[in-house]
Amino acid sequence: MRAFVVDGEAAVARLDGEERDVVATLIADVAVLLGAEHFSESNDGDTSAQGTGPPSDEDMIRESLAGIADSVETPHDPAVLALLPHASKDDDALAQEFRRLTEHDMRNLKVARLKRMWEALSAEESEWRVSLDEALPTAAALTDVRLVLASRLGVSTEDDAELLRMSIATAIDSEEAPTDEGAAQRLWWGMVYESLGWLQESLLDALSFPDQEPDSHHDGDDTKGGDDV
Amino acid sequence: MSTQEERELEAAVATLVDDVWVTIVWNDPVNLMTYVTHVFRTYFGFTQEVAEARMWEVHHDGKSVVSSGTREKMEADVQAMHSYGLHATMQRSDA
Repeated sequence: MRAFVVDGEAAVARLDGEERDVVATLIADVAVLLGAEHFSESNDGDTSAQGTGPPSDEDMIRESLAGIADSVETPHDPAVLALLPHASKDDDALAQEFRRLTEHDMRNLKVARLKRMWEALSAEESEWRVSLDEALPTAAALTDVRLVLASRLGVSTEDDAELLRMSIATAIDSEEAPTDEGAAQRLWWGMVYESLGWLQESLLDALSFPDQEPDSHHDGDDTKGGDDV
Repeated sequence: MSTQEERELEAAVATLVDDVWVTIVWNDPVNLMTYVTHVFRTYFGFTQEVAEARMWEVHHDGKSVVSSGTREKMEADVQAMHSYGLHATMQRSDA
């Protein structure tokens, strides 16, 4: 995985086949949470052929991904609430009225944005090219995906986020996979969450400083750190 | 059901009786500081300095009042913040 760098009128990141597959599947599941039909694969190639990870990882990932979409029917699902929050802290009538007026459009807008990102990642290319016009909608869609992941990971405070980062760092240092399956999954999704934040940050940098050509500074070594996340 | 006419009337009345509402953005552990700043700049047209000041308020104080006006306008602002994945609420200004 390589972070976004500016390339002309676009920001370009690089994800290998397995990374694209994981992120695209996750995006599609967030869309299902928002009430969308599962995005259909126009090109159902076996992307695992490009992947380098062992198949057991993928099975585990798919299994836990399925769990993310399971609770779509639950009206008080905190992940859905994070995507479609209450518009009032203490006025239920106001919040309900706001929901009635805006929720349908909000769901559609978020799903359409996720769909565009999903399509870009479903192309059989290692480059993920986002036009600068599309950079903010893409950053917003990445936020929605991260909101759902954070909710599933139980990250609701800054302390929770810090604990998650620490447990990832500890696991990377120890170089030993957790024996407990639940802990392994949590660690894995925590890494996905952190990686998406790292990608989003680089996309925002590209958007904020579009004049910086990737060749004009030392981007080469900087981006290698991302492989660990 | 609130028709367009009713909403316009409501906004006019709000102005008349000085019924001012505010939009509040709340802190969360997910949104990046650069992202929040960028959204504030883009949507509200804040300068970089103002956008960063509001972002730090959200980060340190847990919330920031980012806009004020009629209830109708605040509904639009809250909707926009939600579209960007920020947690925003609206309430009567307690002036």
